[in-house]
Amino acid sequence: MRVPDTKQPIRIGNCSGFYGDRISAMREMLEGGPLDVLTGDYLAELTMLILGKDTMREPETGYAKTFLRQAQDCLGLALEKGVRIVANAGGLNPGGLAEALEKLGTGASIAYVDGDDVRDRLTDFPGALTANAYLGGFGIARALEAGADVVVTGRVTDAAVVMGPAIWWHGWTAEDLDPLAGAVVAGHVIECGTQACGGNFAGLFDAVDAGLVADPQEPFGFPIAEIAADGSCVITKHPGTGGLVSVDTVTAQLFYEIQGADYLNPDVTTDLTTIRLRQLERDRVEISGVRGSAAPEKLKVAVNELGGWRNQVEFVITGLDLERKAELLQAQVEAALPADLRRSWAPWRAPAADSPTEEGAAVLLRLTVWSQDEQAVGRAFTGPAIELVLASYAGFHVTAPPGKPSAYGVYRPTYISRDLVEHTVHLPDGTTEVIR
Amino acid sequence: MSASTSTARPLGDLVYARSGDKGGDANIGLWIPAGRPDAAVDWLLSLVSVDWVRQMLPEAAGLDIDLVPLPNLRGINIVIHGILGAGVAEGVRFDPQAKAIGEWLRSRYVEIPGELLS
Repeated sequence: MRVPDTKQPIRIGNCSGFYGDRISAMREMLEGGPLDVLTGDYLAELTMLILGKDTMREPETGYAKTFLRQAQDCLGLALEKGVRIVANAGGLNPGGLAEALEKLGTGASIAYVDGDDVRDRLTDFPGALTANAYLGGFGIARALEAGADVVVTGRVTDAAVVMGPAIWWHGWTAEDLDPLAGAVVAGHVIECGTQACGGNFAGLFDAVDAGLVADPQEPFGFPIAEIAADGSCVITKHPGTGGLVSVDTVTAQLFYEIQGADYLNPDVTTDLTTIRLRQLERDRVEISGVRGSAAPEKLKVAVNELGGWRNQVEFVITGLDLERKAELLQAQVEAALPADLRRSWAPWRAPAADSPTEEGAAVLLRLTVWSQDEQAVGRAFTGPAIELVLASYAGFHVTAPPGKPSAYGVYRPTYISRDLVEHTVHLPDGTTEVIR
Repeated sequence: MSASTSTARPLGDLVYARSGDKGGDANIGLWIPAGRPDAAVDWLLSLVSVDWVRQMLPEAAGLDIDLVPLPNLRGINIVIHGILGAGVAEGVRFDPQAKAIGEWLRSRYVEIPGELLS
């Protein structure tokens, strides 16, 4: 196993940007070149809701099952190469995932981090399906220090799975605000997988035209951050993988899902205006200059509640007189729906005239409805809409048969005092520690 | 930059974007790619105002908008509050996670000074 050499940067890879990302990425990252730690982000705001619905059906689930499949395939290889694995794949049940990993029988030392579930500590959200405080990286760092080969967590921040290994490697403390802020930025850049390497990138075709990407169909590589002791880093990817790492691909990811200039994490507040980017060579971008200040007093909590039921119908309007057809349809449908049913007609715009394809001559009028009452958005909604098939504008049709209502969630962020959160690490030897 | 040399072009001829969601809010980062002149950054930062965002994206007309210039990243972050209702799962909007709202904005036409495009 590799041991920390703080003179050297720690080389941290990412193999997942969400629950459902490329399943082969863990193997690709382990085989593609040297790494110290391989990380993965499996939790989005929506994922917590999906996992919450899973646990309503089967209480022993609640973690990212794809991670378990990846571990089954790759854990032996990771042990052989001395690459540690850190992922927030534990979701709502990191202990359950740790247990399932033990059962694989690989002999890997497994630790997990929990304490993020604060459902019983929030007074304003009775009956919330999920309520998870975003934890920082120090629990992960403690687990790695204690010799864990694999650390799985619940709702730590996306960047924390990268910060934790950097804290461990370089021996940073909570006072090392600039290095911690640098690691937050490194973590933010690589937490979304291939988005740092040409995926979902507005400049892809310019890069192809400039000869920087030979073949955009070649699967994009996953990113790597080489984080130095001062918190500066180099973003790169394994040789021979698709896509590119440029100042623009890194900038794109830095802008992803941010709000103000202060980027809040449980361990540090990062000043995004201090980031400096520099292309060192092809597929290597340096990030330096990042400054941090004291962490926020309270922790953010992601709350998912069951909101009710929704359903929708998409009406197709084709050819001439689009405005009048839409007006007639809307009037007919509105007359058939109860006044208090919450609904929304999506905005539309007429296509160009004289289309050589039928689809090009058509627009979709999408009507979505919401209710606390499943019946109200079931047949009571779709029935009157479908009754218009032979009784409305010329060419009336819909894009799909009437659908069943689906349960929807409502996401609300809130904040909680740190005293109410017990950030707990369960070490491979069976002991537990609370991180303060 | 004299107005006479400007042409109406898609914003994306000069500007890159990435967008995403945070609860019910959407954010759009706009920046000038490496290799384009620094003058283009000044132009972008003076172009983007709350009124401009509302004009380009009429769906944002009644919503609170924050602008966060990040000149070190050659761009600006636009946060549109509440455009996604109570988050992706509620599904109030086509593109409920605002994945493509940046590409939509890049396709809107603006007057771009000719010398910035050369």
